[in-house]
Amino acid sequence: MAQAAPQTGALEPPSTATPFQFPGYYSFPPFFTAQPNLVTRAAQHQKWSLLIQAYCRHNRIFVLSLIDALNSPLFHNAALNRRLSLNDAREVLNWMASEPGGNRAEWIGGTGKAKTGAEKVWVYWRRPEEWASVLEGWVDGTGQKGSVLTLWELVEGEATASQEFHGMDMDLLQKSLQVLVKRGKAQIFGQEDSLGVKFF
Amino acid sequence: MAGRRAPGLSGLPASALSAAYTNHGTNLRENHLNSLKTQLSVFQQLLHQFSITHGKEIRKNPQFRAEFARMCNAIGVDPLASSHRKEGSSKTSGGSVWAQMLGESVNDFYFGLAVRIVQVCRSTRAENGGMIPVEEVRTRVQKGRGELGGEIEVSEDDIKRAVESLEPLGSGFTILMLGSVPMIRSVPRELNIDQSTVLEAIQVLGYVTISMLRINLNWEKARALAVMDDLVAESLVWVDTQGDEKEYWTPTIIRDV
Repeated sequence: MAQAAPQTGALEPPSTATPFQFPGYYSFPPFFTAQPNLVTRAAQHQKWSLLIQAYCRHNRIFVLSLIDALNSPLFHNAALNRRLSLNDAREVLNWMASEPGGNRAEWIGGTGKAKTGAEKVWVYWRRPEEWASVLEGWVDGTGQKGSVLTLWELVEGEATASQEFHGMDMDLLQKSLQVLVKRGKAQIFGQEDSLGVKFF
Repeated sequence: MAGRRAPGLSGLPASALSAAYTNHGTNLRENHLNSLKTQLSVFQQLLHQFSITHGKEIRKNPQFRAEFARMCNAIGVDPLASSHRKEGSSKTSGGSVWAQMLGESVNDFYFGLAVRIVQVCRSTRAENGGMIPVEEVRTRVQKGRGELGGEIEVSEDDIKRAVESLEPLGSGFTILMLGSVPMIRSVPRELNIDQSTVLEAIQVLGYVTISMLRINLNWEKARALAVMDDLVAESLVWVDTQGDEKEYWTPTIIRDV
């Protein structure tokens, strides 16, 4: 199912070579209409959540800008001429951010109450504590325990180019490192824009 | 006492004569029974051997399995019913012998399959209202098995057999035909004629609208609306409001990646 959708959004993958494989239900027109039956809608939310996570993982998207996403292939199936509305997209993300949704999203700067669509949301295809384990595993595996790394080189450096956390949003990185700090596994120090971290 | 009797045939008491006949008859019957027993045991041994030699194929190859099941049916033995009876109290029935003979591998196969089918039906119930095409279950089950290692091909026939094996449990799982498509219904519920008609129409056309129902079926608008509302309420159809007219779809093409 090659996506021939016009490249409209600002969310286009910067580097990934293979296009994202949309699941079968992406071609199911009612998928883009909020279902009136609540049981059905719950199943629909579940499916959207899986799709959003898979899409963001594939394209290494850590922060989703709602208004941009609406015009990206994620929420707009140009071939079907169907799209998820702003309100419905917000509802899906609200559900993802909730307990039943597995806390797979978090609104940046509080709940999505601004009705402008300008709100941004972290999509947790890995939750901060999961990222913490991934980071810890990488440091462990590369024998860098005890050494000091800058936050910048962790997510932008060449050494991590093949890692899932490469290109990660700085705030999310800090959130994840805080998990390790609380466990006494890491220490963060330095100034605003030249932060470093030491792993134990 | 015997000394007093005169020699000769007539001297034999009538009872002794008939006893001799009876004896002979019993012998004949016994011989016959013995030879039947021998034949049966030879047959059982051969079958046992067959199931051991071909056990792998029986589990692996759906066509082979179907033929094997047909053979069992032809001799009047249900390899599946056997495993259920075995768990029941009357364990002396011939069925359990059968299960023992086959090393239960065939039974285990269908039992395992039935468990996977129940899982698939459960996990998709919210999105399809408990009605799912046999073919879709087959695809999902096969994929699921692949993940667990050991790719096993499963045929539609296997799925049907496994669902039938659930019936004694009173599970409410049944196979019904919707138009020409076999479906598994995992929710005990009867569709009325109007509902079946609409679902069949969706199968053929992909989706329906109220005006399509009115034109093709000559239904009053109220009737069409009522049927669709019911189907939506039972989560059997999804709605799409982004076309010219509200469209109703069945969620059968929803598949995980």
